[in-house]
Amino acid sequence: MSIAVRTVSDLFAHNLPERAAKSFLVDPGRSWTYAEVAAEVDRVAAFLAADGIEPGDRVVVQVRKGMREVAAMLAVSRIGGVFVNVNTVWTGEQLHYVIDDSGARAAILEGGAAAALPQGHALVVLVASGPSVTGLQSWDGLPEVSLQSPVSCDDGDLAAIIYTSGSTGRPKGVMLTHANIVSGARSVTAYLELRGDDRLLSVLPYSFDYGFNQLTTMMLVGGTVVHQPVTMATEIVRAIREHAVTGFAAVPPLWIQFIRLLDASGEALPSLRLVTNSGGKIPLNILERMPALLPDTRIYLMYGLTEAFRSTYLPPEKFAAKMGAIGRAVPENEVYVIREGIGIAGPGEQGELVHCGAFVSQGYWNRPDATAEKIRPCPELAALIGEEPVVYSGDIVRIDEDGDLWFVSRRDALIKSSGFRISPDEVEDIVHRSGMAADVVVFGVADDLLGQSVQVAATLAPGATREGLLAYCRKVMPAYMVPRAIHVWNEPMPRTASGKLARPEVVRLSTPTADRPQLSI
Amino acid sequence: MALTTDRIIQNLQAISGYDGVVDPDTCLFSSGMLDSIAMISLIAFVEQEAGIEIRADEVTLENFDTPARITRFAGERV
Repeated sequence: MSIAVRTVSDLFAHNLPERAAKSFLVDPGRSWTYAEVAAEVDRVAAFLAADGIEPGDRVVVQVRKGMREVAAMLAVSRIGGVFVNVNTVWTGEQLHYVIDDSGARAAILEGGAAAALPQGHALVVLVASGPSVTGLQSWDGLPEVSLQSPVSCDDGDLAAIIYTSGSTGRPKGVMLTHANIVSGARSVTAYLELRGDDRLLSVLPYSFDYGFNQLTTMMLVGGTVVHQPVTMATEIVRAIREHAVTGFAAVPPLWIQFIRLLDASGEALPSLRLVTNSGGKIPLNILERMPALLPDTRIYLMYGLTEAFRSTYLPPEKFAAKMGAIGRAVPENEVYVIREGIGIAGPGEQGELVHCGAFVSQGYWNRPDATAEKIRPCPELAALIGEEPVVYSGDIVRIDEDGDLWFVSRRDALIKSSGFRISPDEVEDIVHRSGMAADVVVFGVADDLLGQSVQVAATLAPGATREGLLAYCRKVMPAYMVPRAIHVWNEPMPRTASGKLARPEVVRLSTPTADRPQLSI
Repeated sequence: MALTTDRIIQNLQAISGYDGVVDPDTCLFSSGMLDSIAMISLIAFVEQEAGIEIRADEVTLENFDTPARITRFAGERV
């Protein structure tokens, strides 16, 4: 590598001397070399700079997956700005919230979203594609330019803000520095053993740190990213075959569909060297099918949270023995398991996962109180790292005898029933494995005798019954885990704007009250 | 209850959180409007409403990209 890579701009630009003519991005219908993307980056960067966008300014990017989304983010970095990528499935209302909350000075948007901006906004706007909007600059109309001097920035400067939607409250913006992003790319590249001849399929949004890492790692090694805007398993399999994709990252809902499809079609995907999962646990019945359906593919199970950028992974050679574990810290990262007020947990024990080191984000944009609550010194680690702040994940994990970690539950979700601590995730896993339920939410309600009792809210699969599901639970669960009530939903469960189950709402609507007594089972 | 295009449109916001205007020919997936999480809920909704079981290989743009296509697909399967 001829240029020392310290910033997001460097990640891209270090490829230009030697790989200018190499394919960097593949969109449906055409591909783009590193040099072609550089020209687009310069056009947008020149536009932003000419309109007074300065280093440190926030620029919102909400553009459909494709070359222009990537070029928009890189252009913001090129002028020393901070890009705030917003998922295209987010609503107009959420987009406007992020624009306000981040104090954005510019926005690069699709035509529809640009036309729907609130009256009287003071944003510099670039319309990436779609319907043209009167009075706003369109990407197609940008002149060809070449920026003479890139803005240099420090690797400790802010590079990006990633908004995360929790199940409660407004989304919060996690602040990432150039150093966070570059060290994350190096770490992921090392443990996934990525190479310049890799072609990663990008299905996940770049507004999600896990999806964004596919792009940063390919820039680090000079590889290729194939964009797949349609998150349909049938389309994904087609793209993998058509473009000889070597790596693919997905989240559990997508794995469920992908594996079911391969199971039904028997189709082989010989080009695929590696696949990764993050963003939740893949159900065990799906995990069990993966090695047979992807015999020549390394399977990485990972865990992460945006506030600590990258966290842990299970090396593929351990997959067969430890299916479902989240493994241990990724390279250059440090994680500890803490027993509050007691110390560091050892093998066989469980506690809260905390992160320290290079990946720790700068906290939440404009939320010093929330930041201080999430990222703070850890008394149990004082002897090791002193007052260095750590990210409290809120996740309870167990350490096995080899030192590998297993996710147990969110700290605030554990159900305490008749002296047992029960993980709702574990109960949900079992209910899913019955094959009788689609959406499942498990929660605890206060109970005079038990402390808390286990409750299941579920939409049932066709032909399934509450009685059948309960009989299954009685057969496979220890007695303390068997639900005291199963609340059958006959309509879809409410979801958050990002599509996840709105768990608090499901729990509220399912919880027995005086005028809505508990269903007898 | 038979699955209708109107019922799909009425339920799309609950299923996906999407708050924009949807008509029978709005592209839900090829437009990037819905993601994989919303897709799972949509499939579950169609299975439940139409009383059918949908195979993974049937979830294609041809069958699922618009509310009208979903209704046609479900109608042919019943």
